Amino acid sequence: MAEHRKGPLTGVRVVELTTAWAGPYAGQLLAHLGAESIRVESTRRLCVTRTAGPMADRVPGPDRAGYYGEYNQGKRSVQIDLSRPEGAELVKRLVAISDIVIENFAPGVVERWGLGYEDLRRVKPDIIMVSLSGHGRKGPLSHYVSYGPYLVALSGFSTMTGYPGWEQPMHVGMSYPDPNGGWHGAYAALVALWHRKRTGQGQYVDLSQWEAAVALLGDAVVAYSMTGHQPERLANRDPMMCPHGIFRCAPAQDGLPEGLLPEDRWLSIACASDAEWRALCRVIGKPEMAEDPRFATPGDRKRHEEALVPILEEVLSRQDRAYWLERLERAGVPAGPIYNLAEVYQDPHVRAREMLVEMPHPELGKVKQIGIPVKLSLTPGQMRLPPPALGEHTDQALKQFGYTEAEVGVLRKAGVIR
Amino acid sequence: MAVPALAGVRVVECGGMAAAAYAGKLLADMGAEVIKVEEPEGDPARRWGPFPDEGPHPERSALFLYLNQNKKGITLDLRQPRGQELLSRLVAHADVLVHNFPAPEMAARGLEYERLAAANPGLVMASISPFGLSGPHKDYKAHDINVMAAGGWVWLNGVTGRPDMAPLKPYGPQTEYQSGLAAAVAVMGALIWRLDTGRGQHIEVSGQEVVSTELEFVFPFWPYEERVPVRWGHRIVAPWDYFRCQDGWVFIICVEEHQWQRLVELMGDPEWAHWEVFGNRLLRGQNYDALKPFLDEWFAQWKVDDLYRAAQEKRIPLGPALDMPGLFASQHLQERDFFVEVDHPVAGRLSYPASPYRFLSETPAVPPGPAPTLGQHNREVYCGLLGLPEAELDNLRQEGVV
Repeated sequence: MAEHRKGPLTGVRVVELTTAWAGPYAGQLLAHLGAESIRVESTRRLCVTRTAGPMADRVPGPDRAGYYGEYNQGKRSVQIDLSRPEGAELVKRLVAISDIVIENFAPGVVERWGLGYEDLRRVKPDIIMVSLSGHGRKGPLSHYVSYGPYLVALSGFSTMTGYPGWEQPMHVGMSYPDPNGGWHGAYAALVALWHRKRTGQGQYVDLSQWEAAVALLGDAVVAYSMTGHQPERLANRDPMMCPHGIFRCAPAQDGLPEGLLPEDRWLSIACASDAEWRALCRVIGKPEMAEDPRFATPGDRKRHEEALVPILEEVLSRQDRAYWLERLERAGVPAGPIYNLAEVYQDPHVRAREMLVEMPHPELGKVKQIGIPVKLSLTPGQMRLPPPALGEHTDQALKQFGYTEAEVGVLRKAGVIR
Repeated sequence: MAVPALAGVRVVECGGMAAAAYAGKLLADMGAEVIKVEEPEGDPARRWGPFPDEGPHPERSALFLYLNQNKKGITLDLRQPRGQELLSRLVAHADVLVHNFPAPEMAARGLEYERLAAANPGLVMASISPFGLSGPHKDYKAHDINVMAAGGWVWLNGVTGRPDMAPLKPYGPQTEYQSGLAAAVAVMGALIWRLDTGRGQHIEVSGQEVVSTELEFVFPFWPYEERVPVRWGHRIVAPWDYFRCQDGWVFIICVEEHQWQRLVELMGDPEWAHWEVFGNRLLRGQNYDALKPFLDEWFAQWKVDDLYRAAQEKRIPLGPALDMPGLFASQHLQERDFFVEVDHPVAGRLSYPASPYRFLSETPAVPPGPAPTLGQHNREVYCGLLGLPEAELDNLRQEGVV
């Protein structure tokens, strides 16, 4: 069906002055859609994603780092000393032939390098620049230090997620505000690109990752303004659906990856309609529950949740997960495995949809890469490049914007590039 | 006021709950005209709440009110042939169709891309579903919790060191939010491509895939080291945790060594902080059981706001675990005009969060407006946009199509 494997943003060039996760993730999303993304990396300080684990074959090295590798696919890497005027000059030359700049340093950092929006606008008047900062660039906390998990706490997620009656804040399992900031940033960049294509006008976007995280809790914000209190913590339950939860199955027999406990086997079930509920009762061999007046309607089931849930827990623990899932899915009960990350990418469905792509890599031989999660019928895009080695494309990029071999040599000797 | 960026773009949105609705909200925030199609019984989000303390009411669901600001609302029964015919006519006037009916229900609601695109070759259609439109699981039924768990997210969350407790789902229909975001990004990509080519296309978004591609550094542990992270990821460095203060809880994460050193300074340079077992971030992670009691004791002496200020002055990444009252009290968010009051004819005057990139310098977002009441814009859309005579709209009402 696809005419070619180009993405819709083919021909769009993105310069990333990014670090850690949210900024690089935004750049990768644009690369997934076909943009050419150039990641500028510092000669002075390696990105934390190149130094933190995991590492290929558990051997450390900046080009072996999984955190970097997974979120910098398809990009080019140029390594420049940004703290020197000659380095900033190089970035400006790059920006002059680009469309979008994404940056996620603390407010003030790019300005200190002479690479703020006003500086860049002088070399490329219609440039689009997106700043993804923790708190936004205006307001009394704008200079505060922020990481994704800190924003889990600040956004309200840690007090909304968790168990009824528990005082302790809970995490959400990953640094959710980071990828969420990346998606919102990519969206804002494309809205601005749409506007530029129609009017010729570039612009600056100040995105607050804190606010982008609160945007995912908008119902709780509105509810608080309605009632003066926030919705109760329900753990895995739902305000309307019952059953709605995570249930333990019989222990796994074999084939578990390192560190996993055989009894850590769970599935999820959520029934909204009477039809789903009746199907569940049949699958678990308790058709009489479907006739029980306590469980007749969704409202009845929710009211009698304390009676209903233990029955399910007991039955489901008698067989292993595969046994139940096969029957639940066939019967049309909304259910699914609680997959660990190895299982996600070994799942035949996920594989069939090209969500794990193996690519050659100069140092590692091969890397397994996450695929593209949006599928466009005419411009699906594809992974063209593995994650770049540190500074792999410095020379290529410099020559592309007019530097001679000799000039590149001078810059390297002076330590401006590596 | 500047014209918003997506002024002139018309979007038809249908489905239920949060996924298509959040995509529609993102587009509406930027100025698109979003026509939300609800089946006559209304979007299920109207029945979900949260509600005022008095109880459920279809015009007072906080989830619905939030997700559907600035949209036009019409009712249409897509299960009836006449409803499908009207949807086709509406889509013929639109740039974008975004929906989240699951794969097996699409044909029964007239949502076939080929047919709709035949009448409107520029149509960009986004289909959001739990598992996508192809592959062996495409017809599996799933709600948000099932998709989130099948994407690998729920496994990662819960109480560390308590494998007896079930993994814990984060608050809210988060897979739906992320799928809606992904759809909005892909729609913008497709609209930009259409500017050059005039051609629309069909976009598929699988919630499972969106979730599985955003699992942070925990994901590559498997392809890179053949290890599988457990509850709350692999917190390989420490401190990275919540601590109780006198009047609430704070969160701290010391990613860089200098952040820990400044924390040690702030703690008054205690002797234990120099023990070899706490000598670097990885050792502190390995020996966290020994470290935590010292930190518990120190944090317990503080008030949250004092510690927040003192730590951030030293550039230590530490902040409060806010609840909704705490969020509303934030002077920072107030100064950024983040909370905006909006009047709604039934729900009344309530505060809503603004969009998180309000400062697009040339094309600011549309200020939050009210969500439509059920069928509020039927007349405007059917008689205005589609040109149906009033009498026909009355007939459609009587037949229960609208």
